[in-house]
Amino acid sequence: MKRKNNKKFNKRPQNPLNKLSLFQKSDSRFSKKCPLSGKDAPIIDYKNTKLLRRYISDTDKIMPSRITSVSQNKQRKLTSEIKKAKILGLI
Amino acid sequence: MNFYEHTLIAKQDISTSDLEKIEKKYKNIITETEGKLIKVEKWGLLNFARKIKAYNKGFYIHYKFEAENKTLNEIKKNSVIDNSLLRHLTVRYKKLDTETEYFKEKDSNEKKK
Repeated sequence: MKRKNNKKFNKRPQNPLNKLSLFQKSDSRFSKKCPLSGKDAPIIDYKNTKLLRRYISDTDKIMPSRITSVSQNKQRKLTSEIKKAKILGLI
Repeated sequence: MNFYEHTLIAKQDISTSDLEKIEKKYKNIITETEGKLIKVEKWGLLNFARKIKAYNKGFYIHYKFEAENKTLNEIKKNSVIDNSLLRHLTVRYKKLDTETEYFKEKDSNEKKK
């Protein structure tokens, strides 16, 4: 079966006036591609605290992937590495 | 045989001679139980993100080795009893990268130059 309505999956309109409300966050804050996958992506490791710090909030919570746009596979890896770093008191 | 990484956190108020003893002790445990020691890294005194048992800082020692289950049990048995340690963590790896060091001591490198 071919998908007929491919238009549905096209990019969302980029115009900021298209927002539903004022409090809705703009899409431009984070890029939509996953920043941790691809050719020269950084290594996710519990020793790499500089990288892990970017993916936790001010109150040390793990950021959801819907905000950071990390892929599902990498998000699972991120959480486990962040928890390891927290055990050692690095983050 | 699998590759492992093991990190120890020793208390801050330990003397330097005791630190070396701890480092040697776990080196010996790995080699005596037929493990291969690949690398030892001393990360030095680091600040914790939050207090661990009323301590703000600790000495970090990091081992990279290849071993079987026997050594892991031995290490765990010893580090749970050890009074001079705060925390410990072992992680299994398929491949070890021995090149990148995330916690290099800047002061010691500058003195050598």
